[in-house]
Order: sequence, then structure tokens, then C-alpha cells
Amino acid sequence: MAKSTSSDVLTLIRSLRSAYAATPTNLKVVYMGIVGSFPFNSFLSGVLSCVGTAVLAVCLRIQVNKENKEFKDLPPERAFADFVLCNLVLHLVIMNFLG
Amino acid sequence: MGAKAGSSPPVVPPPASSATSFFPSINGLKLKTKQQELLIRVSILALVYVLAFAIRLFSVLRYESMIHEFDPYFNYRTTLFLTEKGFYEFWNWFDFESWYPLGRIIGGTLYPGLMVTAALIYWTLHFLRFAVHIREVCVLTAPFFASNTTIVAYFFGKEIWDSGAGLVAAALIAICPGYISRSVAGSYDNEGVAIFALLLTFYLFVKAVNTGSLAWALASAFGYFYMVSAWGGYVFIINLVPLYVLVLLVTGRYSMRLYIAYNCMYVLGMLLAMQIRFVGFQHVQSGEHMAAMGVFFLLQVFYFLDWVKFTLNDPKLFYSFLRIALTCAISVGSLALGVGMATGYISPWTGRFYSLLDPTYAKDHIPIIASVSEHQPTAWSSFMFDFHILLFLFPAGLYFCFKRLSDATIFIVMYGLTSMYFAGVMVRLILVAAPAVCLISSIAVSATLKNLTMLIRAKNNATPMGSSKGTASLKASAKASSFDQPLPYQRNVAIALLLGAFYLLSRYAIHCTWVTSEAYSSPSIVLAARGAHGGRVIFDDYREAYFWLRKNTPADAKIMSWWDYGYQITAMGNRTVIVDNNTWNNTHIATVGRAMSSYEDEAYDIMKSLDVDYVLVVFGGVTGYSSDDINKFLWMVRIGGGVFPVIKEPEYLVNGEYRVDKGAAPKMLNCLMYKLCYYRFGEVTTEYGKPPGYDRARGVEIGNKDVKLEYLEEAFTTSNWIIRIYKVKPPKNRW
Amino acid sequence: MAKMLFLPLLILLLFLFECESFSAENPTDRRLLVLVDDLAIRSSHSLYFKFLESRGYVLEFRLADDPKLALQRYGHYLYDGLVIFSPSVQRFGGSLDQAAVLDFVDAGHDLILAADSYASDLIRGIASECGVDFDEDPDAVVIDHVGYAVSEIDGEHTLIAADDFIQSDVILGEKKIEAPVLFRGIGHSVNPASTLVLKVLSASPSAYSASPKTKLSTPSITGSTIALVSVVQARNNARMLISGSLDLFSNRHEKSGNEQFVTEISKWVFHERGHLKAVNVTHHRVAELAEPAMYRINDDLEYSIEIYEWSGSSWKPYVADDVQVQFYMMSPYVLKSLSTDLKGLYFTSFKVPDVYGVFQFKVEYQRLGYTSLSLSKQIPVRPFRHNEYERFIPAAFPYYGASFSTMAGFFIFTIVYLYNK
Repeated sequence: MAKSTSSDVLTLIRSLRSAYAATPTNLKVVYMGIVGSFPFNSFLSGVLSCVGTAVLAVCLRIQVNKENKEFKDLPPERAFADFVLCNLVLHLVIMNFLG
Repeated sequence: MGAKAGSSPPVVPPPASSATSFFPSINGLKLKTKQQELLIRVSILALVYVLAFAIRLFSVLRYESMIHEFDPYFNYRTTLFLTEKGFYEFWNWFDFESWYPLGRIIGGTLYPGLMVTAALIYWTLHFLRFAVHIREVCVLTAPFFASNTTIVAYFFGKEIWDSGAGLVAAALIAICPGYISRSVAGSYDNEGVAIFALLLTFYLFVKAVNTGSLAWALASAFGYFYMVSAWGGYVFIINLVPLYVLVLLVTGRYSMRLYIAYNCMYVLGMLLAMQIRFVGFQHVQSGEHMAAMGVFFLLQVFYFLDWVKFTLNDPKLFYSFLRIALTCAISVGSLALGVGMATGYISPWTGRFYSLLDPTYAKDHIPIIASVSEHQPTAWSSFMFDFHILLFLFPAGLYFCFKRLSDATIFIVMYGLTSMYFAGVMVRLILVAAPAVCLISSIAVSATLKNLTMLIRAKNNATPMGSSKGTASLKASAKASSFDQPLPYQRNVAIALLLGAFYLLSRYAIHCTWVTSEAYSSPSIVLAARGAHGGRVIFDDYREAYFWLRKNTPADAKIMSWWDYGYQITAMGNRTVIVDNNTWNNTHIATVGRAMSSYEDEAYDIMKSLDVDYVLVVFGGVTGYSSDDINKFLWMVRIGGGVFPVIKEPEYLVNGEYRVDKGAAPKMLNCLMYKLCYYRFGEVTTEYGKPPGYDRARGVEIGNKDVKLEYLEEAFTTSNWIIRIYKVKPPKNRW
Repeated sequence: MAKMLFLPLLILLLFLFECESFSAENPTDRRLLVLVDDLAIRSSHSLYFKFLESRGYVLEFRLADDPKLALQRYGHYLYDGLVIFSPSVQRFGGSLDQAAVLDFVDAGHDLILAADSYASDLIRGIASECGVDFDEDPDAVVIDHVGYAVSEIDGEHTLIAADDFIQSDVILGEKKIEAPVLFRGIGHSVNPASTLVLKVLSASPSAYSASPKTKLSTPSITGSTIALVSVVQARNNARMLISGSLDLFSNRHEKSGNEQFVTEISKWVFHERGHLKAVNVTHHRVAELAEPAMYRINDDLEYSIEIYEWSGSSWKPYVADDVQVQFYMMSPYVLKSLSTDLKGLYFTSFKVPDVYGVFQFKVEYQRLGYTSLSLSKQIPVRPFRHNEYERFIPAAFPYYGASFSTMAGFFIFTIVYLYNK
């Protein structure tokens, strides 16, 4: 029972997270339409950080989802480690690109 | 070939590793089959590694350790700058010695991968207390990376087929002439490391697709980053990979693994690639990269639809939803693309890209691209020359790939087919096709050999051995044994075929060695010819002239020459040039073309406006060197005429014919280029039994032997007249 | 082939000589060689020569066909100026010939060339190399039936009174020449291709150039196109005076403006007037002192130059309000007039344009009668470095916010995920 709730929580958080990552993207595109694209690199890094996190979160979700048969031999720990690694790279590059 | 490898200068690490793995095997006396196989594999790979390095050293042995051709000199110069001044200076380098007076932001207009790689090797070596000169590092970078490519090829082959194919692929690519042509020692060009990066990216991507792991996708994003930093050919990756994804989608092979691999690789790769200044925002702005972005969104849509399908359960509902969603997605996508195009955010395709898709495009529209010989369409003979038996093995390999379709083989098939097409459009892209051709051929070779040996073995031992290589070969052997019973003489035929295959492969090896030593190992900056007595004559005129420039002209002298020689003049002569091989400003080049094809007085005004002090021309009339400025002259006219309509090509031709003898067009006989090349040439007898002023490169007696120069004066002519330098006189004192 | 090696060297040497010819300290000529047909000219033109000697010149008189004539010895020129008062000489003696005279000029030395009613081919040749063509008819002289000298008795009217001077205080001195110049000699026309020749004294509109003996000839040049005296300032600032009359310099015409005219113009020819020098060209960023090797786009810079004029004995500050500096790359991007402090210093400041490339500071100052100043100094202008751009733009704050919030979200997610394990 506890396990199922925890996985529920997980799914919930994950979808929240994807949704959260997607909202600022839309907001930002609108904002860009208003302000113009002058600091284009900042805009891009902002958008891409959201898109990137969203995509990575979805990937992680796919990988840890028990129903997906394709990833039987991929332990969730490994998947999570990969996820963290990718995110680290993503955010480091974003930091570099932001200013 | 083994002898070749043995005669090479010692390359330390790989043989050592093979030796260490060899000794325990003697001590252990009997190894398990697996270990034996591993040992053989490692030693073969080590040998191939050495071989790939060694075969590329012909030019160093023949001539000396020097940089070849044109572009490598620029790379060398920038590397030198990088090692001397450090990375930040390099990143912000504004070069005022080229493209006078415009200058060139070198840091922002080059692919720094090659230079940074060489500098890193250099710094590492110095850290290890090997006091090598940076030139040696540059000369040997390309062979070193060719060796690394063989390793990648092995793993790639292993990934798409099996380790046997990997080994064959490594061996084939080590000596494939199409690859050697751009990676001999001294050809210090982007392609040298780029092919390594290309293959690495592809390998890692295929690996990511096969495993569906984020880590591999991340690795392939880094491979892509390296490729972007090294060569403009990365566009090939960013278009091939989406195309591959699309094909998988269409053929119904979409999987979560693919989704993960592509998305991660695209997002991270794009972000990383944007850190390269030269590439910048092109990933979201240029039309060439839109395919990747489109496929990225398509994948999201696909995934979303999957999810909706999963939640909705009702197929009918789903299909209506699908229809709405698809129309929405497509219309939004095309709208965005259209708006982007219209507002100029998304730039149209560049000329080079167009000319790839439509081979006749460049000829009609962009003479500057068409003028480069390596942008010409490929002739059949050069395919044969560069691929030899691989050309026949390629279709066979395709057959095997189709027979055993998987995500990986689909990838290699697509890579092979597209790159073959591009190789047919442009000579230089044979290089891109070479790894694919080698890989696919290796599948053919490996599969054939395995089947044949299996046949022989199956006859010997009644039980199917299938000893070594995995389930696939087991299956293959089973299949083979299932129909080998009814055929007579099977074993003999198999042996004959095996021998034939070995014969073919040995011919390939011989061909490759021959091609490398004869065709691809000349530095082109030092020319060699056979003298009358069969001895080798060396024409070192280029370096003679550049050295003269370095020592005898003022430090801020501006040299005008055709753009081919720009990099060499700045690198070796250390003087400012008007145009160089980075052909970024067509108008500037056209101005030089116009000056070269005008009369002397008109040219003088142009040269004055560009502050030209010296004019350098390359002339092969004495030596019979055919790629000189007179033979390139029509391109100067064309490029000049493309911008300045005053220059008209027909005025230089007689009945559409290009000639320099008495029947030449009057404008031709009096234009600056003609005068500079043939100044005082009428007084020289070049060949016994011919009249004075006999041009050996074109085999005619020149038409204007009495060339008078008014605004220029001869400053220097090299010993074989290949390079002639003229000084632009100051304006007349009393007029 | 080896010869070609020396060629640039030679050119270099030539430049060196150029610099030497007007030493920065004293541009005025000192040693003059006077070539005459006949030493009698020494007395018939004694006033003029006396004037030259009184100005400190050392004169050396030689017959034009003296076999020991030489302008240079061991590659050094022996004289600073050459006065050719030998209109009829067919060949110079010694090593001197037309080419040698022209080389002398091209090396930066000055020349006074006088023809007369007769001019030999040699003299004509030298003149035409300087952009001045004497009337081809050997007998032609300038005739003016309206503006002739009253003192003249015969009816040929070949001694004409000319007062059409060039309007230049620098060339002819500040004092106006009141009396007309009496001129007897041949006229010349200025080659239209030459941009450096100035007609100092032109004939009146009623004059024409023809032979007085043959009455029916059509004159080849007429009216004010006839130049009587011209000067040329070569690009290396060597000055030449070409006169169609030797008589102009003689002692005979006492009540005319001849004396004032020839003395004033000789002062100009021998660089006593109108010689400028520009020194101390400096440029630097505002609020810096050192001259940078390279500017960045949009830098503010200060440029200054000092210009002096030679007064005959010392360098005086040159005062003008029309000196301009260009910041030039294929075309001037900045063109500014320089302000002056009246002590010779000219200065300005401007912003480097938003274009990178190899620029030049160019001062091209060419004024009538003055030596031309043509200075150019090359300076590259580079774009911004990667760390010189504006950072943290307010307009981009939402983007920053988004990026950092996703990062924060990532951390929270990681913690939650790990906690839930």
C-alpha cells in the first residue's frame, strides 16, 4: 500500500514537474513576443533549460516506469544517476550560456 | 602490410599493451576460448592501430615533417597562436593580417576543435616533458586521429553486426584511400579529427538507441559537440539523425529508447553546439537545422499521442483526437516556419547546402564555390580510386543489412546511402562516405567469411561448432547447415571462395598502399617531378617566395594574390593579405579578380584603393606546373564579373575558347594577370627546339612576348619561375 | 635574378634620400648649381644672383657643357638646387643629362628652369617631363598687341606686360606686386593630365604665341591659356619653376615688377615659404596616455598632431582652421576638423565607429602653395571581446528567473525522489 502511494506521489510530482517546466516556456515565448529577442542567448537558454528539464524528466519517467518492457535490464538507480548527470550538464551549460 | 607496419617509426602504447596481454598467455599455457579470442582481437586491433598511423607517414619520409596544402597553414597558424597566447586570446582573436582592410574575427569564424585538440596534445606532451615542437604535433594529429577512428570503427561494427565485422571495419578503414586522402601526416585539416568525431557521434547515438540509456545519449551529445567544434560537416549529422528517426517512425519502429536517445541528444547537443561562436544560434535560426527541430517536436507529438491513446482506451475517440491533433500540430509547425522565414529569423539555406542538393546549382549561381576543385562532382574513376573493392562490397553489405534489419543496421544503411549520394555530388565528401562504406563492406566481408568458414568447419566436425560469436552466428550457421547437405563440392567451393576473398582483400591492401604513396602523400607546397634522367627534381618555389616576402618586405606590406595563396602568405610570409582561403566576403574576392582581369592602369587604381604593396602570381609556364594562375584565371574573371559587370567573360575568350597564344583575345593579352605572368617570358627558352616564350603548362607559344609594365615592377621571381612577385610603384612624382 | 633582390633596397635608399633632402631642421636649400650658356649671364643677371647670395645661398656657376659636370658623387648629391639658365644647350656636359636632372628632382631637390625665345630640345624635354609643354614652333614667342611694354620701340610687341598672377600669398609673398611683369620669351601650355602644375603668371587674353616673322601662321596657343611662368610641386615636395623667359631674371627691366616677382617666387621655390611639417602624431583613448596597438569599436579616442611652418629661419606654428583628420577604411568613417591652440597643436576627439577592421588615421592637407601633408597611420579596430558585452540585461531577468527556478525545481525533485525511494 505504502509503495503504491509513494509511486503515486512520484507520478504526481513528475507530471507536476513536466507541467511546471512547460508553463514558463509558454510564458517566455509570449514575453519574448512582447519584449523582442534582444538577449537571444538568454532567451534560448531560458527556454532550453525548461524544455531540456521537461524532456529529461519524461525520459526518466519512461525508464523507471515498471510497465515499460524495454527497460527491464536498466535498474532505476542507474536511470536516476543518468538523469542527474544529464541535468548537471544541462544546467552547467545553461549557466554558461545565460549571461 | 605487416612489413609496412614494422618499418614504421615506433608508436609505443598499442604494441606494448598487446605484448603484456601476450605474455601471460604463454605462462598460462592454455587459455579458455573466450580469452584466446579476446587476445587475438586485442592484438589485431593494436596492429590495425599501428598500421593506420604508419601508412600515413609516407609524406614525412619522402619530404619532411611539414604542413601540406592551403587550409592547414591557417590551422597551423592559429594553433601556434593558441599555444603561445592561450585560449582566451585565441577565442577573441581579431586578425588584421588577413582580409585587409576588413580584418577577420578568427575566434568567431573558425571551428576551434582541431586547434584545441592539437594544443591539448602539445600541452600534455610538454607536461610529460616531451619537448616537441608544435609543428610536429600538428603534422601527426591527423594520423593519430585516424588510428583512433579505427578503434571507433571496431566498436561501431560490433554494435551493428558483431565483433568480427568490427575488426574487419577497423582494418578496412585504416587503409581506405578515401579517408587517407585527408588524413596523411601533414594534412592538418579539420577533416582529420572530424571523421573521428563523426563516427564517434554516430556510434554513441546508435548505442544510445540500442540501450535507451540517457548516459549514452549524453555521450553522443558530447560527441556531437566535438564534431560541431571541429568541422562544418556537422550539418550532416544534424540532418541524418532526424532523417533516421523519421524513417524509424514511418516504418513503425518507434520506441521509447529512440525517444530518449534522440531527445536527450538533440537538446543537449544543440545547447552544447551553441557554445561554439561560429555556430551560434544557427541551430534555431538556419534552415539547415530545422529538420532536426521539426523531428524533435514530432517526437513530442508522437509521445503525447501514445500517452493519450493509453489514457483514452477507446480507439474511435483516439482516432478523432489524432486527426485534430495532427492537423493542429502540422499547421502550427508550418505557420511557425513560415513566419520565421518571412521575418528573417530563419535564414535560408546557404549556397553550399543548395549545391549539395542540386549539383548544378553552384555552377550557375556561385562561381566561388564552383571554382574549388574539391567541390566538383565526383568522377567514377575517383570512386574506384578511393574505394577499390569496397565499391563492390558495399551493395553486398547492404544486402546483409537488409537481411537482418535492426535499428542499428537501418542507421548504417541510411548513413551509407546518403553519404554515397553526397560523395557523388562533391569530391571532398567521399571522405564522409568512407567510414560508412567501410562499415557496410566489413559486414559483407565478415558475414561472407564467417559463412564460408562455417561451411568448412561444419563439414569437418559433424557437430555445428558456432564456437565464437554470439547467437546471431549460431543462427547463421544453423541456417547454413540446413541447406548445405544437398550441395556437392560445397567445401571445395567454399575454400575457393575464401581464397578469392583473401585475394581481393590483399589486392585492396596493395592498392591502398600504392595510392597512398603515389597520390596522397605529396604536400603540394613542395612539388616533385621526374627529371630528364629519372631523378627526382624538387621545386621548392613556394617556400622560397614566402621566405623572400618575410625577409625583404616591410612588416606591414599588403600582398595581393588570388585567394588560394592567402593562408600560406600569412602563415609563412607573415604579411598582410587582401583575400585568403576563408572566402567569406565575395565582394572582396571579386575586387581582386577584377584587378587581375583589368588593364594595368585600371588595376592600379584598384590596388591603390586597397593599399596593395606587392602582387603575387603563380606561374607554371616554365616548369609545366598546371594549377597556376593562368589556368585559374577564368574563375577570377567569372567571380569578378559576378559582382562587377564591367568584367565580361566573353572578352577573354576567342570563340568560347580560352587561349594565351597569338590567337588570344586582345583583352586577355593585356590584362594584368597575363602581363604579370608573362613579363619577360618572351626572352626565355623553356624547352629545347621550341621558340622562346613557349609555355610548357599549356603547350603554346605565348601571344604577347613584349610585355611592358608601367605601374608595377618585378620584385622577385623564384628559381623556377613558379612564383613571381611584383611591387606596386608609388604614384609618379611629377604628375 | 639577384638584381631584383636589390631593387627594393634601392627604393628604400631612395626614400632615405628623400628624407635627407629636407632635413627636418632646415628645409631651405643651401648649395645651388647654376648652369649658364655663357658666363656673361652672370653679370647681366647679377641682381638676381646677388639677391640669392644675400639670402645665404652658395652659388656655383658652370657652363652647361662643362665636361666635368656632375650632380652627385658617391651617391650623394652635391647640390640642393639646380638653376638652369642655359636655354640653348643641346647636351649637358659630363654625366648630366635629362634623366639625371629628373632624378635630381625626384630625389627631392629643387629646380629653376628658364627657356628663352629659343629653347633647345633638351630644355623642352625636361619641361615636358614636368608637365609643361613649350610652344612647339621653335620661332614662336608670346606677342601681345594690346598689353605690350611701352618702353618697347619696335612694332613686334614681343616684350609684353603681364599682370595675371596666381592668387597666392604663399607663392608670391604678402606684398602685392604693383607693377606688371615684363616678359619676353616663349609661352607654354600646361599638360591637362598633370595635376601638380600651377600657372603663376599667365598672359593676358589678347596675347598669342606665334613667330613674329611669319605673319600668317595660326597661333597654337592663345590668350590666357598661355602660361608664362609655372611652378610644379612634385609629390615629394620638390619644387620646380619653369619660365619661358630667361630675360625675366635679368637686370634690365628696372621699373617693372620683375625683381619682386622673381625674388618672391625664388623664395618659394627654395622652400623659404610654404613649407609645412607635421610632427608628434599621437592618438590614445580618452583618459589614457599610452598609444594602444589596437582600438575597440566604440572607443573614445583623442588624436593630435603638431604642424609647423618654416619661416625661412625657424619653425613657426602653423595656424589654420581647415586641417581635417579622417578615420579611414576604404572610405572615411569619421571626418573631423581639428581644433588648434594656435601654438601648432591640432587636436580632436571622436568615437571609433561601430565597425571593425584596419583603419587609418589620415591627414591629407593640400593647400595652394604649401607643401602637401599626407600622413597615414594604420590602426586596427577590433570587435568586443567575449567578456566585454553587457552582462545581466534587465530585459532578460525573466529568462534568468526561469532558468534558476528550473534548477531549483530539479533539486527539489531530486530530494523528493530520493526520499520516496
